[in-house]
Amino acid sequence: MISRTHVHCTVNGDEVDFLADDATSLLDALRDELGLTGAKEGCATGDCGACSILVDGAVNCACLMFAAEAEGHEITTVEGIADGDHLHPLQQVFLEEAALQCGICTPGVLVSAKALLDHNPNPTEAEIRYALAGNLCRCTGYDKIIHAVQEAAVQLNGASK
Amino acid sequence: MAIVHLQADHRRFTGGEEVLEVDGATIGAVIAELERRFPGLGPRLTEGASVAIDGELLPRGSIYEKVGPTTDIHFIAPITGG
Amino acid sequence: MTDTEARPTYKYVGTRPIRHDGLDKVTGKARFAADLNMTGQLRAAITRSPHAHARIVSIDTSAAEAMPGVKAVVTGADFPEIDIADAIHDEAVNNIARDEVLYNGHAVAAVAATTLAQARAAAAAVKVEYEELPAILSIDEAIADGAPLANPTTRTLFTGDTEPSNFASIGQFERGDVEAGFAAADVIVEREFTTVPVHQGYIEPHACVADCGQDGKASIWASSQGHFAVRSKTAAILGWSTDRIKVTPAEIGGGFGGKTTIYLEPIAVRLSQKAGRPVKLAMTREEVLRATGPAPASKISLKIGATNDGELTTLAGTMYYSNGSTKGFSALTGAMSVASYKFPNLELHAIGTVDNTPKSAAYRAPSAPQAAFAVETLVDEIAQQLGMDPIELRLRNAVVEGDPTAMGMPHPKIGFIETLEAIKSSDHYNSPVPEGAGRGFATGFWFNIGEQSSATVNLNEDGTATVITGSPDIGGSRASMALMAAEELGLDVHRITPIVADTESVGFTDITEGSRATFATGMAVVNACRELIEKMKERAAVIRGVDVDQVAWIGGAAVIEGPASEGNEPLTIADITAQAKMTGGPLTATASLNAAGAGPSFAAHLADVKVDEETGQVTILRYTTAQDAGTAIHPAYVEGQMQGGSAQGIGWALNEEYIFDASGEMENASFLDYRMPVASDLPMIETIIVEVPNPSHPYGVRGVGETGIVPPIPTLANAIAAATGVRMTDLPMSPPNVLKKINEK
Repeated sequence: MISRTHVHCTVNGDEVDFLADDATSLLDALRDELGLTGAKEGCATGDCGACSILVDGAVNCACLMFAAEAEGHEITTVEGIADGDHLHPLQQVFLEEAALQCGICTPGVLVSAKALLDHNPNPTEAEIRYALAGNLCRCTGYDKIIHAVQEAAVQLNGASK
Repeated sequence: MAIVHLQADHRRFTGGEEVLEVDGATIGAVIAELERRFPGLGPRLTEGASVAIDGELLPRGSIYEKVGPTTDIHFIAPITGG
Repeated sequence: MTDTEARPTYKYVGTRPIRHDGLDKVTGKARFAADLNMTGQLRAAITRSPHAHARIVSIDTSAAEAMPGVKAVVTGADFPEIDIADAIHDEAVNNIARDEVLYNGHAVAAVAATTLAQARAAAAAVKVEYEELPAILSIDEAIADGAPLANPTTRTLFTGDTEPSNFASIGQFERGDVEAGFAAADVIVEREFTTVPVHQGYIEPHACVADCGQDGKASIWASSQGHFAVRSKTAAILGWSTDRIKVTPAEIGGGFGGKTTIYLEPIAVRLSQKAGRPVKLAMTREEVLRATGPAPASKISLKIGATNDGELTTLAGTMYYSNGSTKGFSALTGAMSVASYKFPNLELHAIGTVDNTPKSAAYRAPSAPQAAFAVETLVDEIAQQLGMDPIELRLRNAVVEGDPTAMGMPHPKIGFIETLEAIKSSDHYNSPVPEGAGRGFATGFWFNIGEQSSATVNLNEDGTATVITGSPDIGGSRASMALMAAEELGLDVHRITPIVADTESVGFTDITEGSRATFATGMAVVNACRELIEKMKERAAVIRGVDVDQVAWIGGAAVIEGPASEGNEPLTIADITAQAKMTGGPLTATASLNAAGAGPSFAAHLADVKVDEETGQVTILRYTTAQDAGTAIHPAYVEGQMQGGSAQGIGWALNEEYIFDASGEMENASFLDYRMPVASDLPMIETIIVEVPNPSHPYGVRGVGETGIVPPIPTLANAIAAATGVRMTDLPMSPPNVLKKINEK
């Protein structure tokens, strides 16, 4: 019988408890144990960023973390970045600027972009491109994504003044 | 009847002839007539070709498409997409 | 920026509304195939061949079956034999090997178990005894005299040949007199070009869930470019009738041609049938790279002749394209894509080969980028040798309506000249080349296709509408369907809900490929809307007590014309649907068609690059693309297709490659080592939408998905030549390969 570890952490503001095998990734725990399928598996090797989540505010690939490593930490997934029925400005601008096509990379891109703007409210184009360099997108050529992050930064700065 | 244009690798069936007047009221009838005149050519035009009439690409399988005496028919390699 | 011919003024077509499926995609709610879970669901894993070519002597599944949690194991023996002449043969054998494994990574068995870890452990415990066979790993090996057969079931396509062959197809295209053409040419350039396999690189690995009941019927949830094709192919591979299978399309996380073929569904259904439980089967990234989709490798020798005043008179050459492990006609489409210049004299030999690398699949304008690499590089060299502007040379020779493609068929109405002019008048072209950089220009073309589509439009009680189609939405097509319906009905685009329905809820629809969704499925939507308008006019006539020919449809309402117009206000859609019950029942219309008249789309790209002569690193400073969309229904998603196609082409040009070891094992089967462009690799991609409407579509749509990937390779090769003086002829133009050429200079 495989032993399972009890994990207690905060996910999108809610305290949660779940059991995980030693080998289970946090990505699989989020998707299979907690039903949060917003983070995607594109590679399971930390190369595509489709599973990007925030751990205590910092971007991580959920596929590279063991589920047990979430113990005691605050996890944010794409499902947790809107405020009730108000979308996060990044989400709203992504819709308005057509910054997504198939949408498989979008959750990870939004999470990485949020982490960037949380830490750097006025990023340059180059800073945005490097901040998102870990998030592969095969549909857009990144152009509209970069524009959308720039526009969201303007809106967030306007709102905070 | 229609005017049929054949690409190079179909011309070996016709002794090199590239443009032919062929009897038939539909694409399918034209292919049948070509097969009658040049045995072996018919299957190559049905399984392995897209068809354009008067420059307009038809969907695959358009054997009942009507043709007139001045209709230009091109049999070309199959076209798909990604 | 939009370069627009005079066209009707539209209220909705050409606007940029928020896409209807967008919210679910920015909140994580959108359900892709791997996001679905069912009660009692098992997980499955596949056993894959470690050899590039081998005979399967025996498969022993007993150890795997005895492992914890294992509920079912299948091998090729669990599927019916399929005649090699059957159209589904190659795909069936590619799904799961029968007598031979044909490439490293070929599926040989599959296991369903309670957990994924158990399924993977059991898949590794399936014992397969192989007898290794000689493996063919390149075009040169395939065509060598006395080469062993890569696949004994391959016959040369369309020839009627019955002997096995490493030649997948042999084609020839001719016009004029090539010998005389070269004899009269003032300038002749000639080179050999090679490209290696590249992957479509969709971020979502292939995945499906299958649930087979004891009644022998199966439901499949799958990510694909065409769920009707998933149904028909799965049925054919299982030997089932179509009515036993229902396929529900999941959201698709990128396809680019690679999800026009199936890999998993028959296996998942068979496992589910054996286990009596639902089965989820998803590939890992490594499996995606080893066992799905690459675009073909190619080897192209080409020679072009021109006169001193810049007439391109003669083109001749031989194009080899690998199809991977099965037959295919990639070489024929490659040769056919040579269609941009008049070339009175032309002779092209197109030869497809078979080898022991993964079966190739369609990738965005299949085969055209490799051919454009050769043609557009040589045309650039001619411009250079003649001292002509590269756009002027192309304007001088560009095809227009009535000019022949490589296989003789005349072009319909096209916008190549307009696309060239768009770049010529762009800010980019009229800006100086940055210090130390090189500027490259090239063009591309794709035919686009029509084929079969169905649509149903339902008007709801309150005057809103639902547009139901069978075309999986791979790049924003739902929004385009809603926009065309909005334009037809005169109904706000956000009072229309566009959905993609399962195989039992909408009429048959071919795969979303060849840029056909907005073109052909859009036409079905338009036809259904037009039928609804006729019905609404009839209902309005009943309500107003007038003859139907006194009712006109204007601005989204039924307007009573003539003597009866007095005092009769127009009836809106909501007015009419509110009285549907009293005037004959629900208002709904369905249209199906097999669309002819797909409109070719041309693109022209311009790039400024800097080459680091010490490392060979190519940096793109500026990139502009112009493309003829016919009519841009949703311009933001047209731009997205142009930018995405450009980025894929840039990746193909500069970095992406399958690297096989001597045994045929892929050495770089991960996103770390298979290097696709990331955000920091690219500049902004400027877009110019050219609109020369396609006369065969009610709104002039051509389709924009395919063409964008065609010009980037020669655009960048030409830019590198301008920057360094070195002509790159082998892909990828990665730092080591560029450096090698610079050092040879």
